[in-house]
Amino acid sequence: MHAARNTSLCTKDCVCLFVCPTGATDTETGQIDFTKCLDGCRLCVDACPSHAIYLVPSVYPAPQEKSEAVRKSLFALAKSKAGQERLARSLSEASDDPIFKQLMNAVATSNRVLAEDCYREAGYILPQSEAVQLWLHNLLSEHEKDEDFPSDAVKTLLEKL
Amino acid sequence: MEDDMRQMTAEELGALCTNLQKACTKQLRNEEASLFGTLAAYYDKQRTIEKAQDLKTLLAAINTDLSNGFAEASNAAEESNDRGTKRALVWGEKASKLLKALMIRYEKQGSALLENTNIWVCEICGFVYVGDIPPSVCPICKVPSFKIHPIQKEAV
Ligand code: SF4
Ligand code: SF4
Repeated sequence: MHAARNTSLCTKDCVCLFVCPTGATDTETGQIDFTKCLDGCRLCVDACPSHAIYLVPSVYPAPQEKSEAVRKSLFALAKSKAGQERLARSLSEASDDPIFKQLMNAVATSNRVLAEDCYREAGYILPQSEAVQLWLHNLLSEHEKDEDFPSDAVKTLLEKL
Repeated sequence: MEDDMRQMTAEELGALCTNLQKACTKQLRNEEASLFGTLAAYYDKQRTIEKAQDLKTLLAAINTDLSNGFAEASNAAEESNDRGTKRALVWGEKASKLLKALMIRYEKQGSALLENTNIWVCEICGFVYVGDIPPSVCPICKVPSFKIHPIQKEAV
């Protein structure tokens, strides 16, 4: 477990800098240096007056099993929402009315969020999960000859996750 | 790999990527988040445009979700007592109803709908809102308003 700072809660009063035995909380990025943080120490977590620091596990537990029926129906719903995202984007691009474009862009954005939530509940909540790794591996072999495909990004993800 | 993973469109793959990008951000894994962002950007470029469509097609698709899609998924979630999925479906159905209402309003009012005001989308649940300032908490998912973002009018 190491400490992580939610920068949108941090009020910059720097108590965490005083208590950290390794200097891990003092970085130019605003994030805590995971490599210096002592496993499970949590001094800064308890000291922060703004509750801006929390511990994140280094290894996450396996996600909840999803039934096949739930997975199937969520994938179908995600397909429909993604289809609506495409429709809304297409309508936006075909129009030159700024207000209609704005409306369709909002509809597209909303549908993207709705599809994301379906995938999250369909078993793709955790980037570290086996399902995600398997999918990334498959993408790599599928796109072997595709020069535009960001293979390096996918390989790095597989190394890091 | 499951069959449903083989036939995914650019938008579906994009949404899977941005979902994982958000998950990495929550774990404060910024590098991984930006790598999923790169992958999402690739799928953004692969998107195709559907010609000769209108608002009616969009409305019909929402109506199908509201009459079938949500109910089917809810039954499946009920059967396996999957509360996470039920939560997603309750939020998603509410947001979908609002999208439908908005489209119907646009059909009646036309551009007057957004003439002197703005439109907002909640990044957590997809809630859409028309008005000058968004509510201080999202009425669907209860997140504070800093997660509710305006969609700008583009210069044409
Ligand atoms: S103690 Fe908390 S509020 Fe203060 S700088 Fe550290 S993280 Fe920010
Ligand atoms: S948990 Fe301990 S070592 Fe890690 S950043 Fe906080 S005070 Fe420093």
